[in-house]
Amino acid sequence: MELTANYFLGLSAALFIIGLMGVLIRRNVLIIFLCVELMTAAVGITFVTFSRETNTLDGQAFALFSIAVAAAEAAVGLALILAMSRRTRSVDIDDFRSLKD
Amino acid sequence: MDLLNLDLSGPQWGLVWPQLIVFLLAVVLVFADAFIPKHRSFEMLTGISIVGYLLALGALYWQHDKHAATFQGSFRADGLTVFLSLIILVAAIFSVLTSANYLKDYGERVPIGEYYILLAFSVLGALLVSSAGDLITIFVGIELTALATYVLTGYTKRNAQAVEGALKYFLLGIFASAILLYGMAWAYGLSGSTGLDNIRANVGAAVEGQEWFEASVLLALLLLIVGLGFKIAAVPFHMWTPDAYEGAPTPVTAYMSVIPKAAGFAAMIRLLVQGLGPLSEDWRWLIAVLAVLTMMLGNIVALSQRNLKRMLAYSSIAHTGYMMVGLAAYREGTGFGNDLENIIGTRGVSALLYYMLAYVFMNIGAFAVLTWIQARGRGVTLDDVSGLASTDPLPAAAMAVFMVSLMGIPPLIGFYAKYYVILAAMEADMLWLAIAVVLASGISAYFYLRVVAVMYFSSSDVTNTRSVRTPLLNASIILLVIGNLVLGLFSAGIVDLSEDWTNALTVAQTTDGADAAQVTNP
Repeated sequence: MELTANYFLGLSAALFIIGLMGVLIRRNVLIIFLCVELMTAAVGITFVTFSRETNTLDGQAFALFSIAVAAAEAAVGLALILAMSRRTRSVDIDDFRSLKD
Repeated sequence: MDLLNLDLSGPQWGLVWPQLIVFLLAVVLVFADAFIPKHRSFEMLTGISIVGYLLALGALYWQHDKHAATFQGSFRADGLTVFLSLIILVAAIFSVLTSANYLKDYGERVPIGEYYILLAFSVLGALLVSSAGDLITIFVGIELTALATYVLTGYTKRNAQAVEGALKYFLLGIFASAILLYGMAWAYGLSGSTGLDNIRANVGAAVEGQEWFEASVLLALLLLIVGLGFKIAAVPFHMWTPDAYEGAPTPVTAYMSVIPKAAGFAAMIRLLVQGLGPLSEDWRWLIAVLAVLTMMLGNIVALSQRNLKRMLAYSSIAHTGYMMVGLAAYREGTGFGNDLENIIGTRGVSALLYYMLAYVFMNIGAFAVLTWIQARGRGVTLDDVSGLASTDPLPAAAMAVFMVSLMGIPPLIGFYAKYYVILAAMEADMLWLAIAVVLASGISAYFYLRVVAVMYFSSSDVTNTRSVRTPLLNASIILLVIGNLVLGLFSAGIVDLSEDWTNALTVAQTTDGADAAQVTNP
């Protein structure tokens, strides 16, 4: 069996959808956050695959940028989650409901 | 394989001045915050910020007649860059003026410097998106704007509502970014380049006659529109908006209702119009349907809100809908290339750009008056502004101007903004969309006028509990009122300036020596 680009695109699509479902289904803020990170990482695989397929380097550069952005997101996100969980003693998204219609 | 065909000649710094000045401003603010003594920091940092943004605004003048790209084509100085940067910098100046007195009030409890630093980086991100010629620049710019805004939303970290609003905004924001990123990955995979000019050339050439290709192009389009839909708060991706707007400190709400939205629309124009313009027949219907949903739902839900911040949040969702009408009115004829002859309906994007400028004046104004009221110890519900006209006639009059402008009554700027959008929709043969705008404005009249009626005709049972002086905030409200009254009358000149955006569609000459915008198939 030869490993073609389709396998890698399929892998990254599968990881992306797992992350997407995790965001929609799970109620723990930390897990939701990790699922978004999984989605971002999955996109990195797509970028590298396309980079190889099209013989250009743009995709690899983009993958590196996406990793850097994900790191910055983690710094801001964990700080916010920490501030929130100190106040509510919970990481369950359903407990954060002081703002609603 | 062109991997080694790199151009090592230096970038043209002369083209980048406005963006560079804002970057330098952010760096200067970091150092100024560290070295200026605490009791002087408020005046100094506010002054530095305003001077910085004014300098950047002045530097835009040198950019305005250029049509060039640098940094290997990833930075473009064209008509679109200039008009979007103008919107963003004007909004930045008014954000500083609106928030200054609030910050001084809170100065004991929150650090002032960080606020201006985050604001500057956020403005820089929005400027990067508007001058982007490359998917990477768009993504990094939009993330820079968003990350700074998440922090600003939770800026008063002892306030539980602020942190909750920030967290909800953050979670949905990064979720949207991941979807947007996936869309960009497919757009890159289909065209073999992250440069928007190359995407435009290659997608257009490749789409004809390949069905599997068409399917993956549609996937990319869908992901891009969903991702950006979150950023601009279009229905059905608007869930975070009311919570984040209500939780954030009011001056931050004023800012975040404008600049991140402008960055989102900038990304939309760059991606959909400049990059994927040849597919306009595929995406404009989706945008049109989303626009109708957005303005209807925004206006209808706003009817039942008694908290004014929440009401304005839904109203800002509705205004996103009006702006999307301008985008939906864009269409390119069959055939492809750099000639503008094929493009019918460039007026749509001009109308969107003009609307965004008008929206800066209307929306920051409304939130500025709310900030004024809050600074005097009142709340932000309808009951709190009851009878405001008898106790504080001037702020009440300003609020009335902003409400009527948001509603779209001539001769205020909001009317002209809606007029151009409706005109563009009719020119693009989308009469139903024009009718939807008029209907939605009709619905919105109820809740905008209710605020005016409550201020003028109800008896006052709430009084100011604190007396403070807010000179900068007052100046900002006065300037915004003047803008609302006057800019509409001079709209012809502004619209002419916004028409310059069309040169974004043609390949810019590069000043790097290399031919960075080469349009060949890889």
